[in-house]
Amino acid sequence: MTLQHVATSAPAEAEKPSVWRRIWQQDAPGYLFLLPWFIGFFGLTLGPMISSLYLSFTHFDLLTAPRWAGVDNYVRMFTNDPKFAASMRVTMFFVVFSVPLKLAFALGVALLLNRGMKGLTLYRSLFYLPSLLGASVAIAILWRQIFAADGLVNKFLSLFGIIGPSWISNPNYSLWTLIVLSIWQFGSPMIIFLAGLRQIPQDMYEAASLDGASKWRQFWKITLPLLTPVVFFNAIIQTIEAFKSFTPAFIISGGTGNPINSTLFYTLYLYQEAFGFFRMGYASALAWVLLALVAIFTAFSFLTSKYWVHYDD
Amino acid sequence: MTFRMDRRQFLMGTSALMVTGVAGISPAWAQAANMRLIFWGGQSRADRTYGVTDLFEAATGNKIEGEFLAWNDYWPKLATQTAGGNAPDIIQMDYRYIVEYAKRNAIAPLDEFVGGALKLDGFDEDQLEGGKVDGKLYGISLGANSVATLVNTVAFEEAGVEPPTNDWTLDDIMTKGEAFSKANIRNGMKMMSDGSYTEPMLDNWLRQKGLALYTAEGKLGFGADEMTEWFNLWKTFRDAGVIVAPDAQALDTGPLETTMLVSGKSALMPSNSNQLVGFQALVPDKLDMVGYPRLAAGVGGGHYRKPSMFFSVAGSSAAKEKAAEFLSFFISDPESAKILGVERGIPCLPETRDIVAPTLDEANQIALNFVANLGDLLGPLPPPPPAAAGEIDLSLLRVIGQEVAFGARTPEDAGPYFVAEATAILERAS
Repeated sequence: MTLQHVATSAPAEAEKPSVWRRIWQQDAPGYLFLLPWFIGFFGLTLGPMISSLYLSFTHFDLLTAPRWAGVDNYVRMFTNDPKFAASMRVTMFFVVFSVPLKLAFALGVALLLNRGMKGLTLYRSLFYLPSLLGASVAIAILWRQIFAADGLVNKFLSLFGIIGPSWISNPNYSLWTLIVLSIWQFGSPMIIFLAGLRQIPQDMYEAASLDGASKWRQFWKITLPLLTPVVFFNAIIQTIEAFKSFTPAFIISGGTGNPINSTLFYTLYLYQEAFGFFRMGYASALAWVLLALVAIFTAFSFLTSKYWVHYDD
Repeated sequence: MTFRMDRRQFLMGTSALMVTGVAGISPAWAQAANMRLIFWGGQSRADRTYGVTDLFEAATGNKIEGEFLAWNDYWPKLATQTAGGNAPDIIQMDYRYIVEYAKRNAIAPLDEFVGGALKLDGFDEDQLEGGKVDGKLYGISLGANSVATLVNTVAFEEAGVEPPTNDWTLDDIMTKGEAFSKANIRNGMKMMSDGSYTEPMLDNWLRQKGLALYTAEGKLGFGADEMTEWFNLWKTFRDAGVIVAPDAQALDTGPLETTMLVSGKSALMPSNSNQLVGFQALVPDKLDMVGYPRLAAGVGGGHYRKPSMFFSVAGSSAAKEKAAEFLSFFISDPESAKILGVERGIPCLPETRDIVAPTLDEANQIALNFVANLGDLLGPLPPPPPAAAGEIDLSLLRVIGQEVAFGARTPEDAGPYFVAEATAILERAS
């Protein structure tokens, strides 16, 4: 019937306008509703990205027009910029320590909450709260108070006769206060872990128990392998987040990255170059290097994932 | 499908909305101008400033919408707005940035309005000069100020130590400081904050030696030996425990609330004469003001009366003449003068000074007297610093200063390192 219909309808060339009309009549409203997103994507994301790629090959001080500089910015970055190296070290240290610790903590709490306890929703909300407050200015200021010389942490330590240092302004500890802050915001990976734990079939544990496997063994042999897709997802998201981390360091160090550049996150250095010293070209180059770095990390994670992530339902 | 609204109607409706939206952005005011003003400072400065914009609106019908930020946030915002062609009409400007903005036409020369909308008869000559770039007037000084050491008089009284005067010297930091520490008041308060990475202190010390932070050509005005000597000087104070410890000092990240004076960790702190008012609002104890310490008794010339800040008019402003009129109103209107006091420095018009003087509260009075009686502490106005000065201060002086303070670098190492790095930054910028 369909064939017949096609055969008896008007010749192909006459049909064309009606196809366009159909697209216009049926799909246009859809595109119209998508329009705000398109405008946002092209105008506020893709456009600025392309222009920043161009700017990364220029010297640009905001007040005068950009001057073409070729690869100068990239050459300087890798050959003659100790602050670039310093900020890269700080960010790498932060990523390497904050991400695994945060994931371990989130998983630990998720395991505790997954034991069918009463008031689960309440606890879940409470633990999620810090993530909602997230990278806010208020939390960063609160952190300054907690880890100051006469702050909460040292008041607590003094109960045991320990006189703690001023954690946030001592270059040996300042970065660790930021790592602790990041771990404290374990809520969103925890929620995802919880959802993942729920999907592990109970009968596996029952079978294991019957065979006499300990809880510990069950965790390593059942829970963790079946949870690897969720671990993988969380690890990638959190790694990207950690690379992008900016607000806490900015607030706690007043935008300086001090003491002694110990909290000079890569993004903070980028901000200083852009808005402190008005080197937009160099800052754009820094941004693209960060993008490349995050992309490499993510690609590496995906490539290795087949060796440790199990997708067998 | 029950999507009944005709698409054409829908499109026309939304585009009509968008057109009216666009039109709403730029209402065509014929006479009265709508201007924007941006400045750095704290709440007490904002209250005073808005008091004057209200008066101006009542007197002329021109509306001025103000916005204020902390110093560190101010310059990025201003640069971004300027780059976006969206600079406010009236811009608070600093001696450090005026050349840069003027050379790029981001601010407008005001000479054509002088005598007309902008009345400057009797304006202090040196303050007028400070606002000129290549012979043209780009900024109207809002007041003269000088660096100053703020003194918490109550803390000195509690410690039983005689507070410093304008004649105090670097040796006094040691002798008075030891007595102060011995008194052990307020949970180990120190006499003085660590000034080793405070740029104006280094500048003042160099000037007393007949040197300069920067030469007129924008080069470094001193060598590695001086820098090592400077860091060693402060190391001596630090080792003797007469200044604030490095991890406490590092809590000072710029805003007044984080400074050693406000957090009660020191009784003396280097600052600026006009800032006494702002600090006094945050410190319950009575504050006073003296000069920076002398190298030795009788040595002066480190201080200078600098334009504390300017008002400039954006090069892109559509209401330059009205803006100039506001500048004139700001510096000369008697009621405005009473509101402003000397919070932005000592007014530069003699009539305004006369109106202000009798109305001042104690803190303002102290600032006025201090700047008027600098005596032999006063030296000539240095040339504007090079564009990279801000980067050298933030990226080098503060970081290397902290490295020395925390013992991560010796003064002997820090001196040559600082000079080499600073020279490299200056060369790259030029």
